[in-house]
Amino acid sequence: MGKARDRTEDFKDAVRHTARSLGYDEAKLASVMASFIIHKPPQKSPFSKAALKTLESIGELDQFLLKHRKDYTDLHRTTEKERDSIEHEVLILSERLHSVTAQFDQLRAVRFQDAINKAIPRRKLNRVARNDSAETSKSSDMELREPEELRAEPLRVQQQLLDDETRALQVELTSLLDTVQETETKMVEMSALNHLMSTHVLHQAQQIEHLYDQAVEATNNVELGNKELSQAIQRNSSSRTFLLLFLFVLTFSILFLDWYS
Amino acid sequence: MSLNLRQKQTECIARMLNLNQPLNAAGTANEEVYKILIYDKFCQNILSPLIHVKDLRKHGVTLYFLIDKDRKPVHDVPAVYFVQPNQPNVQRIVSDASKSLYQSLHLNFSTSIPRPLLEDLATGTLNSDSIQRVSKVHDQYLEFVTLEDNLFSLAHKPCYVQLNDPSAGDKEIEELVDKIVGGLFCVLATLAVVPVIRCPRGGPAEMVASALDQRIRDHLLSKNNLFTEGGNFVSSFQRPVLCIFDRNFELPVAIQHDFRYRPLVHDVLGLKLNRLSVQGEKGGMRSYELDSADSFWVANGSLEFPEVAVEIETQLNKYKKDVDEVNKRTGGTHGAEFDGTDLIGNTKHLMNAVNSLPELTERKQVIDKHTNIATVLLGEIKERSLDSYAKKENDMMVRGGIERADLLGVLKGKGTKMDKLRFAIIYLISSETINQSEVEAVEAALRESEVDTAAFQYVKKIKSLNVSLASANSASRSNIVDWAEKLYGQSISAVTAGVKNLLSNDRQLALARTVEALIEGRPNPETDSYLSFDPRAPKSGSGASSSHMKGPFKEAIVFMIGGGNYVEYCSLQELAQHQQPAKHIIYGTTEMLTGVDFVEQLTLLGQKMGLGNVGSSSTPAQ
Repeated sequence: MGKARDRTEDFKDAVRHTARSLGYDEAKLASVMASFIIHKPPQKSPFSKAALKTLESIGELDQFLLKHRKDYTDLHRTTEKERDSIEHEVLILSERLHSVTAQFDQLRAVRFQDAINKAIPRRKLNRVARNDSAETSKSSDMELREPEELRAEPLRVQQQLLDDETRALQVELTSLLDTVQETETKMVEMSALNHLMSTHVLHQAQQIEHLYDQAVEATNNVELGNKELSQAIQRNSSSRTFLLLFLFVLTFSILFLDWYS
Repeated sequence: MSLNLRQKQTECIARMLNLNQPLNAAGTANEEVYKILIYDKFCQNILSPLIHVKDLRKHGVTLYFLIDKDRKPVHDVPAVYFVQPNQPNVQRIVSDASKSLYQSLHLNFSTSIPRPLLEDLATGTLNSDSIQRVSKVHDQYLEFVTLEDNLFSLAHKPCYVQLNDPSAGDKEIEELVDKIVGGLFCVLATLAVVPVIRCPRGGPAEMVASALDQRIRDHLLSKNNLFTEGGNFVSSFQRPVLCIFDRNFELPVAIQHDFRYRPLVHDVLGLKLNRLSVQGEKGGMRSYELDSADSFWVANGSLEFPEVAVEIETQLNKYKKDVDEVNKRTGGTHGAEFDGTDLIGNTKHLMNAVNSLPELTERKQVIDKHTNIATVLLGEIKERSLDSYAKKENDMMVRGGIERADLLGVLKGKGTKMDKLRFAIIYLISSETINQSEVEAVEAALRESEVDTAAFQYVKKIKSLNVSLASANSASRSNIVDWAEKLYGQSISAVTAGVKNLLSNDRQLALARTVEALIEGRPNPETDSYLSFDPRAPKSGSGASSSHMKGPFKEAIVFMIGGGNYVEYCSLQELAQHQQPAKHIIYGTTEMLTGVDFVEQLTLLGQKMGLGNVGSSSTPAQ
C-alpha cells in the first residue's frame, strides 16, 4: 500500500525560516507557530450546524436499523407486533425525509424562477443601452461633420471607413451578447427542469414501491387461495371414499337378506 | 502480492479525499464530513478515469472546481487541494488562503513539492497573515494516469520530439529525464515495490534507469521512506522487474496500422482517458466510456475486429433469447387455462422478471454502445482500406519487402495522407537495404498525394545513421522464412506463402519477446548485454550480477519512453496470459499516442532538421 508523505513539518520549518528572514521577533514567531498547533475553533453557520445535526440523526437511524436487523429477520426473537412497530417508525422517518426533499425542490424552483425573471430585465436594459449607444453614435457623427469640412478628402474617407468598422463591430458584439444571454436563459431553464424531473422520479419511485407491495400482497392471496383449493380437493376425495363404502355395504346387505330368507 | 495499479491509485485517492485519515469501515459521521475538492487540469486527468461524480459524493465531496476558476467563499467547509507542485498553483493557493475562501486548506501535491516552492508558500501565507488556514501538506506521489488495471501513462507530451531534437541541450534533456524519473517514482511509490531495473545500453533508457536507481537509493536511505510498508520479508522474495525501453527500440509499432479492437478504437476514433466520442445514428455526437466496468471491452478488447463483430452478434442473440424467455414466462399464452400452480409460477416469474430487468437493461446498453462503435469503425475501415494497410504492413514486417507494384498501388489508392505516410515509413523501416530508385518513386508518389515528406526523410536519415533499428526489426523476423527463401525457388511459392501466413499470425513484437526473456532470466544474446540496477544492493557491487537479480520474475513493469500505444499493451497482456504459470505485466509509457500523433512528431523532427518540402507551410490533413 503506497502512502502519502506528510510535509506539514517541512512546511512549518519553511514558515519558521521565512519568518526569521522577514524580521519577525521571537514573540511574534512563537505566536505564528502557535496558530498551527491551536487551530481556532471554526465558526460554523447555523445552516452548517443544522446540516450536521440532520446527518447525526440519519446516523442514529442507521444505528437503529443495524441494531434491530437481527430482531426483524429472525422469526423467533420478535412478535409480529414488534416487527410492525419497527417498520412503522422507519417508514415515518422515510416519508418525512421525502417531504423535506419535496419542500427543498419547491424552494429551488422559486430560486430558478427568480433567476429567469432576472434574465429578462437584463434584456430590457440591454435595449436601453443599445438606444443610448445609437444616440451617442449620432451625436458623434454630428460633431465630426464640422471638422470634416476643414480637412482633406482622403482623411475623411479613412475616418468613414473606421466609423463603418466600428459600427459593424458594435453590431456583431451586440448580437453575440444577445446570443450569450439567450443561452444563459436556456441553461437556467434546463437546470430547473432537470430538478423538477428528479422530483418526479422520486415520486415514481414511491409509486413503484407501492406496486411492489401490492404484488407481494397478491402473491400472499394466491397462496391462501391455493391452500383452500387443496383442502377442497382433500374433502372431495374423502366424500368419494364414503360414497364407495356406502354402496359396497348396501350391496352386501341385499345379498345377505336374499340368502337369509 | 498482485500489482493492481488502478486499485492502488484509487485507494490512495480515496484516502486523500478522506483528509488523509484512515478510512472507517462503518463510515460513521464526523465533523469533517463535507468538503470541497479543488484540482488543476493535470490532476483532473488523473482523477477522471478513476473517480466518478457519485463516488465523490460518497466521500463527502459536495463541490469540485478547477483551481483556475473564480470561486465563491464557503466559510465553514474544509477544502482538499490536489494539484501539481508548480509556481502558478502555489500562488493560487496563497490567494485563496488570503481571501479566506474556506475554513481550512488540506494541500495534496501530486508529487514531491520542492523546498523552494514550499518556502514560497510559507512566504505568501505569512505576508497575507493567513498561515492558520493551512491545515496539512502532503506529497501524494500520484502523478500518473491509470487507464486500466495494468496500463498507465505519465501524460508528458510531446516526449519523443524533445528527446530526439538535434538542437536540444544537455540541460533540457536532463530536465526531461528528471520528469520521467519523477513519474516512474510515483508509480513505484503507489505500488510500494522496489524493482530490479533492466534496460538496453545507451540512449534515454539508460539515462532514465540510472537516474531512477539513484533516486530510489537516496529515498531508501532517508527516514520514513515510502517502501517500508507491506513488510520487507515479502518484498525481498517477490520483487518485480522494471524494463525500460526507448521508442527507437521498436519504432514501427508506433506507426503501424493494427486490426485489434482496442488498438483500432484508440487509433481511429481517438480514445482518450477511457472516453470516446463518435458520430451517433442521428448525427449528434455520442460519448461513451470504455473501462474495466465494461465487461465486453475487458473480454474482447484484444480480438481482431471481425471476431469482435461476431461476438457482438452473439451477445445480441443471447440477449434476445433471454428477453423472449422472460416474456414467455410472464406472458398470457397460458392465461386461458386456470390452474393454481400456473398462477404461482406466473407471479414468481413476474417477480424474477422485475428483478432481472436492470441487468437486461445494462446488457442492452453495452451491446448498443459496442454496436455503434463497431458501425463507425466499419465505416472508417471501408473508407480508408485499413484492413489492407494492416495486412500489407504486417507482410512487410515479416517478409522484409514488398512488390514495387503493390507498394505504389497502395500509395495511389484509398486512405488518408497520414495512412500513406505511415505505410511509406513502415516500408522504409522494414527494408534491410535502401533501394534508391524505389525510395525516390515512393517520395514522388507521396508528393503526388500532397503529403509532407519531412517525417519520411527523417526516418530515412536515422535509418542510414543507425543500424540498431534494422537489427531490432531483423531479429523479429523468423529464421524459417529466410531459410525458405534461400533454399526454394519460385516453383513452391504457394507453400512458402502458406508458411508465411502462418508465421505472420504468430508474429510477436520484439518488445514482448525481450520482456519474456528478461522475465524468465534465460541466457539470451540480446538481453545479456542489458544493464541491471538493483536499488537495494550495495552501490559498490552494482557491476557484479548476482543470481538473484537474474532469476525468474513473477511480475514485471514495462515502461516505454517516447510514447506507446495499445498495440504494445495488448501484446504484453497476451504474453502474460500465455505464460505457465501466469505472469503479471504492467505497461506504462510517457504518453499514449495514435499513429497519427507519432507521425506528427516525426514530421516536427524532420522540419527541425531542415528536411521535407522547402517552403511548404501546409500541415498534413488528417
